[in-house]
Amino acid sequence: MWKYIAKRMGQMIVLFYVFIALLFLILDLQPGDISAQFVGNPDIPPEAKQILIQNLGLDQPKHIQLWNHLKNYTTFNMGFSWDSFPREVSDMLFEALPRTIFLFLTATLLSFWLGFYTGKVVAWRRGTFLEKGVMASSIFFWTVFYPWFALLMLWLFAFQIGWFPIGKFITLTFSTRPDWVNSVSNTLGRVSGGEAATGWVGSGVDANSIFNGMLLSIIVTTVVYGTLRYLADRRVENERTRKTLHRLALIVSFVGLSAYWIFHSESVFAFDIVWHTIVPVLTLTLVNYAGTTLLTRSSMLETLREDYILTARAKGVPDRVIRDKHAARNALLPVTTSLVLALATVIAGGVITEQIFSWPGIGRALLTAITVEDIPVAMGALAIIGVLSLLAHLIADILYAFLDPRIRVQG
Amino acid sequence: MTNTLDIESRGGRAGTTLLKLDDVIMRYHTKEGWVSAVENITFDLANGEALGLVGESGCGKTSVALTLLGLLPDNAAIISGDIQLDGESIVGLPEEQMRRRRWRDIAMVFQGAMNSWNPVYKVGDQIREALRLHWPETLTYTQETERIGQLFELVGLNPLMADRYPHEFSGGMRQRAVIAMALSCNPKLIIADEPTTALDVIVQDQILKELKNIQAELGMSIIYISHDIAVIAEVTDRMGVMYAGKLVELGDTIEVFHRPRHPYSYLLLSSTPSITGPRRKLAPLEGEPPNLIDPPTGCRFHPRCPFATERCSLEDPVLTQIGGGHAVACFNWQDVPEIGGLQK
Amino acid sequence: MTDTLLSDPDSTPTIDLGEIVATPLWRIRLRVAWRSFRKNWALFSDNKMGVVGLLIIVVFGIMALAHPILLATAWEGHEEGGKNVYDVRAGADSIIVEKTVVDVVTDPVTEIGRIEAALMGSGAVIPEVGTVLEVPLANPAPPVFRDVEHAHVLGTDPFGADIFSQLLFGARAAFLLGAIAALSSVFLATIVGTVAAFYGGTIDTLLMRLADLVILIPLLPLLIVMSGFWQIGLMGLGILIGVLGGLGGTAIILKSQALSVKVKPFIDAARISGGTDWRIITRHIIPNVLPLSFLYMMFGVTGAIFIEATLSFLGLLNIDASWGIMINIAHTQGYTLQGLKVWWLMVPAGLAITVFSAGFFMVARAMDEVVNPRLRRR
Repeated sequence: MWKYIAKRMGQMIVLFYVFIALLFLILDLQPGDISAQFVGNPDIPPEAKQILIQNLGLDQPKHIQLWNHLKNYTTFNMGFSWDSFPREVSDMLFEALPRTIFLFLTATLLSFWLGFYTGKVVAWRRGTFLEKGVMASSIFFWTVFYPWFALLMLWLFAFQIGWFPIGKFITLTFSTRPDWVNSVSNTLGRVSGGEAATGWVGSGVDANSIFNGMLLSIIVTTVVYGTLRYLADRRVENERTRKTLHRLALIVSFVGLSAYWIFHSESVFAFDIVWHTIVPVLTLTLVNYAGTTLLTRSSMLETLREDYILTARAKGVPDRVIRDKHAARNALLPVTTSLVLALATVIAGGVITEQIFSWPGIGRALLTAITVEDIPVAMGALAIIGVLSLLAHLIADILYAFLDPRIRVQG
Repeated sequence: MTNTLDIESRGGRAGTTLLKLDDVIMRYHTKEGWVSAVENITFDLANGEALGLVGESGCGKTSVALTLLGLLPDNAAIISGDIQLDGESIVGLPEEQMRRRRWRDIAMVFQGAMNSWNPVYKVGDQIREALRLHWPETLTYTQETERIGQLFELVGLNPLMADRYPHEFSGGMRQRAVIAMALSCNPKLIIADEPTTALDVIVQDQILKELKNIQAELGMSIIYISHDIAVIAEVTDRMGVMYAGKLVELGDTIEVFHRPRHPYSYLLLSSTPSITGPRRKLAPLEGEPPNLIDPPTGCRFHPRCPFATERCSLEDPVLTQIGGGHAVACFNWQDVPEIGGLQK
Repeated sequence: MTDTLLSDPDSTPTIDLGEIVATPLWRIRLRVAWRSFRKNWALFSDNKMGVVGLLIIVVFGIMALAHPILLATAWEGHEEGGKNVYDVRAGADSIIVEKTVVDVVTDPVTEIGRIEAALMGSGAVIPEVGTVLEVPLANPAPPVFRDVEHAHVLGTDPFGADIFSQLLFGARAAFLLGAIAALSSVFLATIVGTVAAFYGGTIDTLLMRLADLVILIPLLPLLIVMSGFWQIGLMGLGILIGVLGGLGGTAIILKSQALSVKVKPFIDAARISGGTDWRIITRHIIPNVLPLSFLYMMFGVTGAIFIEATLSFLGLLNIDASWGIMINIAHTQGYTLQGLKVWWLMVPAGLAITVFSAGFFMVARAMDEVVNPRLRRR
């Protein structure tokens, strides 16, 4: 398996460079040259222009330019933003990155978990009313025009019901929030023992550091949960004990995560961020959930036709066990593969979500950069989204290798 | 003193009746109408006996097996008739009771056993699953492993192979492992549905010999289902010939081979070349198997039958004893000529 | 004669040999095609979802055709200020309207494109979120049925353009784009897939690595950047989506299908009887891959429409009118939070995109069950 993973990693690195080279090509082909904005400006004297061209490396032959481009992107040196000069592009984007990863990760994990469960149940009950209902709604959510759907969600939750904020990442002054949010927030403040905060302004709390802490704690919890499950699978032979341990692991991880943040001294601020994430995550999750459900269902239906399912039935294995242990476990393989192909949708959905809910992530940075023609930021954002997609593919590949003994044992 | 882990048959004394099918009718409901897959099947099987069912594909052989196991799809139903296992009717048993009987009483080696293994679990663990579901006493993990090892040895596999995944097995090995799994809970009856079809001839022969030895050793009852008469001839004591969902001939294997009394059996045997027997002309079997949604009236074989008379298209012959435990469902069985038959 | 029989896998069982000699080849081909069409249609029409999808597509097709016809007949001559009121880009007088503030701008430079930017520019005080402001913009008119002269069945957008007319025009744009994207993608994918499968070796490796790369590229962000650099129209976008889609996942799927066809005996037969590579690919492999290609074409339409509408929604495309632009206008003009009060601005366009994609998606899924028998119910 390690050989397989190493091979995939090697391929990914090559693909990364091909992708970066492709970005160079796009830059090079774009009308009016990357230097036009500076070099073509008549206000700049010719000598200064010459220096600029030299500094930008535009007098070098194309292949040297490409080489420099590759070198720069490898070290994440993506130049300065034109629009908010003198901020470095990498600085701007790395600040936005955790927010994008958070949105992407929570929505993906949630939708996969729920979608796989629904898909498997629905496939098992083919032809029932439940199946038809789930199918109809899944097709609706999967084909609904996502930006429109997101706008509707925004309108519904932020305006019509009024429980949630109109986008953004934090609310500067807490008093503008709905009453129920403030009362929850105050309770939290009392529990964690911090003094009553009135808002981010003047509190001296850094939203980014809190947010990164939250993201890290979620990743750690997920890893802990996964490890506990894996250990239970490895060490415990009894089916029932294993199931109980799985549930226990889930509860322990969840309770641990919640407790950590409830008693955290800055829990009020963390809560404010959580409050802002709910609607975007819900929106992105719903659509991907529908996709996973549809995918799992057809994958399950194919698996259920396999001979080993008939063998399992002849063996007198109870239906539930056949569904979960025999069919779903195998259906997981094509779902993992197709998930890779569905990644494009998730990424596109992420960009749109960030734009509509004013979520300050990479996707929003990209769109803003495009509107103000801030080319370095746009290219940088595109490169980072590319890297994210590469990583997601790699993770899916590794997951697949773990799931399929045909690769795990031999490759 | 018997070890609880012995591999044996749970069936009764040899020669006593184990399984009895009485006029079983099973049909599938499709959009085009009812498909009569199993029509008035009657036979019985003694403990320790090997029975063969032979016929063209689509003649309802596998449907008989699925009916016995109660593994019918949602759109199928047993219309009438009774199936008794050890004197107890198993038709219409609640699913939960039927599930407990499967594999414990009747185990099955499937058609295309190549794909009978779930690719993501170790072979040993899949046998272990059967043991945990049906073995009468609780076994410790080590006892289970030990038994799986014994089973593997019995079918000629290295016990260490139990810790491998199915994709690491060759076709023949997988088939042997399937037989090991079928034996795991000491069943009373094993149904082997085309057990060797997907294998090459040499492996096929080895496995058939193995099965035959095991059956003799353990006193197990086996029903072999195959389209290949040679296979049936090699391993069974008695054989039945099926055509279009009906059992048309039933008798001692050697007897049926040498003197088939039903025109269909006759044509089936004449269309198989014999290496050792006398030289003879091969008689081709013409025409297509009938459509089971709208089967021919009277005898289902009459449109293809060279001996058919007018009566055959009007009346449906029933399986009648013609002496010597040989039964045939044909009005004109006396017209069917002798053939050389195969040397067994 | 034997050549035809061997090379055409579908024709063997029921055609009388004597007849084959007498009838020209094309008629046999036609008859075989007709028969397999009828068989597949029977399978397809069993699936209610597919039939509903097909109906949806037909309705949209009628809508697309209706637009130019209506402009030439019922809508003709409704001039106002030199422009037909049913023109998709008709302008109307600007009127003061009430608008709800979407969000408060803290960083004016990075927040361009929303109404607040305009407010900031005029030196106005930063308003609270949710306050209602009077903004000098055009007025979206609600649906009017009585006034026969200017019947805006679905009202107008904030610029005074007729929504119904834009809706019909949008159907035309959607079909055009869907067709260009799907055709070019499937054309490319079929060629790449069959060539990779047929020749194998280096060509195969190269094409498949390329496909790996294309799958990895985040399509929408890339197109966002490209549409920022270039003025991309409907045609250009269609071809871009087609090329990027056709070199990626579809090519891989079609390759595996072509591989399974390549090992069939009739390919050997064609080779033995002296068929050239090109002939074998075009006459024997491609026809057997086509059903699957057609299936992916249907899925492709859904994807292309989504991308077009999203880019239009983000205001990055250089096209007259489309469903995405209709939503974009309503959103950028600040009508999002008025929701159902101005339903005609966003609901018809949003529903049109959704239902249109759903139609193609449902047809594709039903076709999937025809092409891929493993999905069928027993």
